[in-house]
Amino acid sequence: MKLSLLLKTTVAAVLLTATAAHADVKFGALYPFSGQLALLGDESARGLEIAVDEVNAAGGVQGEKVVLVRGDAVDNNQAIGEARRLISREKVAAIFGSYSSARSIAASQVAELSGIPYFEMGAVADEVTGRGLKFLYRTNPTAEDMGKLIVEMIVNKVAPGIGKKPEDLKIGIIHEDSSYGTSVAGHQKKYAAEAGLNVVSTQGYPASTVDMSSLVLDLKQRGVDVVLQTSYQNDSVLFLQQANEAGFKPAAIIGGGGGYSMQPTADAVGHKVIDGVLDADFTQFLVNTKYTPGLETFVEAYKKKYGEAPRSGHSLNNYVGAKILLDAINKGKGFTPDALVAAVNTIDIGEGVTAAGYGLKFGKNNQNERAKMMGMQWQDGKLVTVYPEAAAVAPMRLAK
Amino acid sequence: MDTILQLLANGLMLGGLFAIVAVGLTLIFGIVKVVNFAHGEFLMVGMYLTFLVTRMLGLHPFVAVIVVVPALFLIGALTQRLIIQPLMSARDDHIQIFATVGLSTALINLALLVFGADIANTPASGLRTPIEIGPVRVLSGQIAIFVASIALVIGLQLFLQNTAMGRAIRAVAQNRSAAQLMGINVDRIYILTFGIGAACVGVAAVLIAPLYPTSPTIGTYFVLTAFVVVVLGGLGSIPGAFVGSLVIGLIDSFAGFYIGSDMREVAVFGVFLLILILRPAGLFGKQLNLSHVSP
Repeated sequence: MKLSLLLKTTVAAVLLTATAAHADVKFGALYPFSGQLALLGDESARGLEIAVDEVNAAGGVQGEKVVLVRGDAVDNNQAIGEARRLISREKVAAIFGSYSSARSIAASQVAELSGIPYFEMGAVADEVTGRGLKFLYRTNPTAEDMGKLIVEMIVNKVAPGIGKKPEDLKIGIIHEDSSYGTSVAGHQKKYAAEAGLNVVSTQGYPASTVDMSSLVLDLKQRGVDVVLQTSYQNDSVLFLQQANEAGFKPAAIIGGGGGYSMQPTADAVGHKVIDGVLDADFTQFLVNTKYTPGLETFVEAYKKKYGEAPRSGHSLNNYVGAKILLDAINKGKGFTPDALVAAVNTIDIGEGVTAAGYGLKFGKNNQNERAKMMGMQWQDGKLVTVYPEAAAVAPMRLAK
Repeated sequence: MDTILQLLANGLMLGGLFAIVAVGLTLIFGIVKVVNFAHGEFLMVGMYLTFLVTRMLGLHPFVAVIVVVPALFLIGALTQRLIIQPLMSARDDHIQIFATVGLSTALINLALLVFGADIANTPASGLRTPIEIGPVRVLSGQIAIFVASIALVIGLQLFLQNTAMGRAIRAVAQNRSAAQLMGINVDRIYILTFGIGAACVGVAAVLIAPLYPTSPTIGTYFVLTAFVVVVLGGLGSIPGAFVGSLVIGLIDSFAGFYIGSDMREVAVFGVFLLILILRPAGLFGKQLNLSHVSP
């Protein structure tokens, strides 16, 4: 009796390890692959794919090959549906995603209920980690990091650059009035107040506006020195054009990602008009690679796999997040949710050693407390990194 | 004082912009009695056509009018013939409205498929040059839009009042059955009117494309205001749409400066509601016969 039991368990154990060694480990890749957000959703997913390729080439995780199962989060409802499918039908060990904050918030809810880890590597909204979910981890910088960096940049670089004391600058904050613009503007105000800056006007507007001339006139008459705009593409173009045409030339304009980081915006506005405009965003490609080791290898791998240069920094940030997470999972024991959580909680990576520059350590609400944005400037039609000093490839150009 | 003049100029220019988009909408509404929710997408299609013509042939955007206006006429006429007309006899008029909503979604997604979500830039070709008139500064392209909107309104009025075709169109609008009894081919008039309405938005597209970057959702930016303007002016009234546009443009401009840009829409829609309460038929509206058959 005892012997037969022992035999059975041994056989079962052997079978189990045998299947484990042969099987691949599945992870979900949940991004908007079609619809309005497809372009940057796909760009983000490419970063994850390159990370997985590298990990597999180096022997996989815990000796097993990583297989990505795609889920198309075309809208919030489908994000939920696809998260369910990945978890219950595909039996993925964890989900990686998701570029859009709204999709991430919806889909991570499903993962939380199923107790499956959800690794967010691109959505910036505060609510993603702000809900205190147990299985949601975020590697990328957030709306708050953006507000923080912009204020830091004004105090450390912009004010001295234009020859004024930070507290003497008149700052105007304008933002599109959905949750993205409103939350970034809120953080800008908060950090500006802490730094003792003088915010003379804060104004929201609908992103679908077709005229900003009144807003421009208002900023002009208040004598605003530094304009902070958080916006999508059309409203970025509209503001920069109308400000230029109304003869409003503030000492600095600082955009918050979105439309400000995109080449088509610069082409639409005109390289002359956008010259000197600053921008805070995820790490981009024109950056000092001493601060972002591995960036060149990533770009090469990207070009080889997709036959073109990266279309935005989204791929890079997803790549860095995924690479670190998969490396940690490799060192962990097993793929159960608890094992994955335990593995990623041990991550402790400092600044200046990843391809995105920022380090990784999960803090409160499983947010990466070392995530940071960078300051960029449009110079001669290109978006070059100018802040922080260690990552800069060119000095910030400011007119006194 | 200079500020007020500048705000006035901005408001008028914005009004011209709304007017040129709204004219076609109010024409279709007044005659065919279909609320065309795909109107903004017609504008979007026209803007992409302008973009393609200017980019590929290197012509001035205004020259694109030769291609865009006939193309939009065709799209409008086909929409009426293939989508609206089969639904004309439907038991419920609202079905046509839903059909145009469907068309709108289909066109947006088609544009996403063909052009992607990125913006397409029609070269400004000097239309973004600021022109200073006294203390006031406006763009040459804005003046072109303003002048064209006036010309379009007057032209349409003359056409409807003085030509045989125009009279036939008005007859159909007044009483479809009586018009049919008088020997007017009603179906043809509807197709023609829808085509003309769409052609008007084609004119708008050519003028707007050099000033605003084109994207698949650009139509939605204009169309809500166009609807407000049409209702404010009196449904189906072309001069009404023009005056309504100027009113909305001016409110937008002044409220944006004096009340704050976040309160702009509150001011616009507040005034809109107020006018509707006081004059339910709109500024220039008569009691409209909204039925397709005789009253």
